[in-house]
Amino acid sequence: MTEQRQHFQQQLAGLEQHALGGLDLVVEQLDRVLEALEHQDVELAQIVVADDDRLDGRYLEVHQGILSLLALQAPVAGDLRLVAALLHVIKHVERMGDQCVNVAKLIPLSGHEPPVDSDILYKILQMGQFARAEVLQCKRSFVERNVPMAEDLIARDAAINRLNREIFRHAIEAGHDEDVREWAMIMTMVARALERIGDNAVDIGEQTAFVVTGLFREFSDASHVATR
Amino acid sequence: MDKTRSDAASTNTRRGVSASPGLPRALPKVEARDRSAVAKAAIFKLRDVNVSYGGVTAVEDVTFDLLENEITAFIGPSGCGKSTLIRCLNRMNDLIPSAGVAGQVLYHDQDLYAANIDPVQVRKRIGMVFQKPNPFPKSIYENIAFGPRVLGMKGDMDEIVEKALRKGALWEEVKDRLKSNAFGMSGGQQQRLCIARTMAVEPDVILMDEPCSALDPISTGAIEELMLELKRNYSIVIVTHNMQQAARVSDRTAFFNVDKLEEGKRVGKLVEFAPTEKIFTKPDDIRTEEYVTGKFG
Amino acid sequence: MAVAESAITRKVVERASGGQRTRDLLFRLALLLCLFIAVLFLGVLLVDVVVDGAGFLSPEFATSYPSRLTPDTSGVRSALLGTLYLMVLCGLFIVPVGVAAAVYLEEYADPARWYNRLVEVNIQNLASVPSVVYGILGLAFIVRGPIDIWGLGKGQPTLLAGALTLGLLVLPVVIIVSREAIRAVPPSIREGSLALGATKWQTLWKQVLPGSIAGIATGVILALSRAIGETAPLILVGAGAFQLFDPKVDGPFSAMPIQIFNNVTESKPVFQDLAAAAILVLLILLLLMNSVAIYLRNRYETKW
Repeated sequence: MTEQRQHFQQQLAGLEQHALGGLDLVVEQLDRVLEALEHQDVELAQIVVADDDRLDGRYLEVHQGILSLLALQAPVAGDLRLVAALLHVIKHVERMGDQCVNVAKLIPLSGHEPPVDSDILYKILQMGQFARAEVLQCKRSFVERNVPMAEDLIARDAAINRLNREIFRHAIEAGHDEDVREWAMIMTMVARALERIGDNAVDIGEQTAFVVTGLFREFSDASHVATR
Repeated sequence: MDKTRSDAASTNTRRGVSASPGLPRALPKVEARDRSAVAKAAIFKLRDVNVSYGGVTAVEDVTFDLLENEITAFIGPSGCGKSTLIRCLNRMNDLIPSAGVAGQVLYHDQDLYAANIDPVQVRKRIGMVFQKPNPFPKSIYENIAFGPRVLGMKGDMDEIVEKALRKGALWEEVKDRLKSNAFGMSGGQQQRLCIARTMAVEPDVILMDEPCSALDPISTGAIEELMLELKRNYSIVIVTHNMQQAARVSDRTAFFNVDKLEEGKRVGKLVEFAPTEKIFTKPDDIRTEEYVTGKFG
Repeated sequence: MAVAESAITRKVVERASGGQRTRDLLFRLALLLCLFIAVLFLGVLLVDVVVDGAGFLSPEFATSYPSRLTPDTSGVRSALLGTLYLMVLCGLFIVPVGVAAAVYLEEYADPARWYNRLVEVNIQNLASVPSVVYGILGLAFIVRGPIDIWGLGKGQPTLLAGALTLGLLVLPVVIIVSREAIRAVPPSIREGSLALGATKWQTLWKQVLPGSIAGIATGVILALSRAIGETAPLILVGAGAFQLFDPKVDGPFSAMPIQIFNNVTESKPVFQDLAAAAILVLLILLLLMNSVAIYLRNRYETKW
């Protein structure tokens, strides 16, 4: 039985690898954009914007691959769930890439030498690290089909959400210096983008649960404060 | 029959896939991703082929090229002439006295129906596997050895038999009972035996006329995997009424349809011939779309 | 709801009505009666023959010559040998000729041609021509006539002529049975062989004929079983009786049916018993031949 449909199994595995490989690209982009934030490196930010084409290309390739697999191999049961999940996953990957681009585009807006509130910057970079960890975790949970690991992403995401709220409050209290306030406003937008990356990672975790259980269940409602 | 490749063959490799010029509704679009069309030579070229039984035309005006080292599938509703056409490729239609073939069937640019061509020689190079497995009532060994013996092939018969059984993915299952009767095997094994038997005479092309329709899903799967292995060294043409099978295994698909003429006459025609992925994702002809989506047939 | 209720209360399977069952029973009884009558006649004949002739059965009976003068030591040697030689020669004639004719008609003849259709129709007719007609044919053309067998041309009865005449008699049967056997080989076998690149002749010789050999052999033995008992053609061709010598291929001969016939027409009652004994010998020979036929069929038959 293990010999059957090797061709198809190889194609499916390749497709999964290609889709999840996009998450590695996202991590690359995230690392670059965080570095650009830290050192106010406008050129690095431009590279991030240009490199998003790679993620968009990957999206098209995976999409075409999924259509082809559905048409030619008629997958059912677990295989079908996997293919449907990959369609969602690649969409989330592409969105994560777009969020990195959003952050990159915000960097030049704050000027070459902005006044930096070290507290806010620290929190932003911490958010970035959390987001990075979430992306890697959601990838691992999908590869290993590990539902508990996927569900754990909620807890991780709670930390990012908390930091997001703190940065927002901080920005409001940024106070007297107008330039600092302006920069802080831009940072809230950066924070929001990073928070969206975290949400997309949670969504990928939900897809992991779908592949394994066949049930689609939202891990938490985004409009409620997570109680965990 | 000598295998002379004329210059026509090399220019055709660049032409690649060509659809029938008589298509009413669509112009063929060359797929930018279809790199295979540039690399492979055409092994069969059919030009305006008409097949009739007792004067009544069964298939009309078939023109297309089949490429080497590919699996080409013929699909279509019953009565569209796909079995009739595949039997023209190795002159098995000669066995039916009332059958008549007009037009050109070129194999490596040689007309198979020319006056000086011996059908026996044709069948040495172009083998066929039938719908219902038809092993001979002999031992497994004798089944495989029959072909090489009657063709006078030189070499150690034991080796020839083993090689053929390995190619047919059957060696491991039967190596300890080569002398037992072939009728004692399961349907799927019998069909693989028929495939191995065909390969023992070392053909270029294997024609398969609905090879899995009498088999269970597991045996079907085994044979499909075998076909995907074999296409590296052989060219395969398969007639199937199972569209999913055509989708799974074939590189290129030809869709035939039945045209209803006046006086209640029906004749088969080639509608579309394209890479399989195209046929099943965005076919050019509306009739193809309706057939593969199951709206008729 | 009323419809559903009556459907449930009605019996799912209705039993056959009484009249139906009686009719079935009567039919079965009628069949058994017919069988009984047929077997009865056979049984009576057999018992009669055994009662009359069993006393004479012994190894000496088979090895001593028949004699009008000393009935007590009369045997069937010349007749038995004659019959055995006849069967062998007949077999050697009918197998190649019959099988070749069957192969031609099944594999090569175009059924649309008039001459093939003519042959087809006439083979059935030939199988039902009275055997005495074959005797006349044999006498006119083989013994006396233009076909000079072994340079004899003397118009004398010979074993060979007898064998050929019997062969002609049963040839249609052999052809018909062989055709059936060849036809029983499915076309898929022929297609499979041809698709591998074998010629028509190779397919015939290596697939079709080996696959039909059991049927052909059974047919040949059954034909010989018929030939063994034919009397009229042998009389006309000149078989003798009460011969005191072993038969030769190119010389005079005797045969069991002739000997039996001559025993029966003798006046002394002891000859009736001798005839019965000879009948028993013939029956034993027939039984052996049919057993061989059944054995061959069971052992070598291909179940398609």
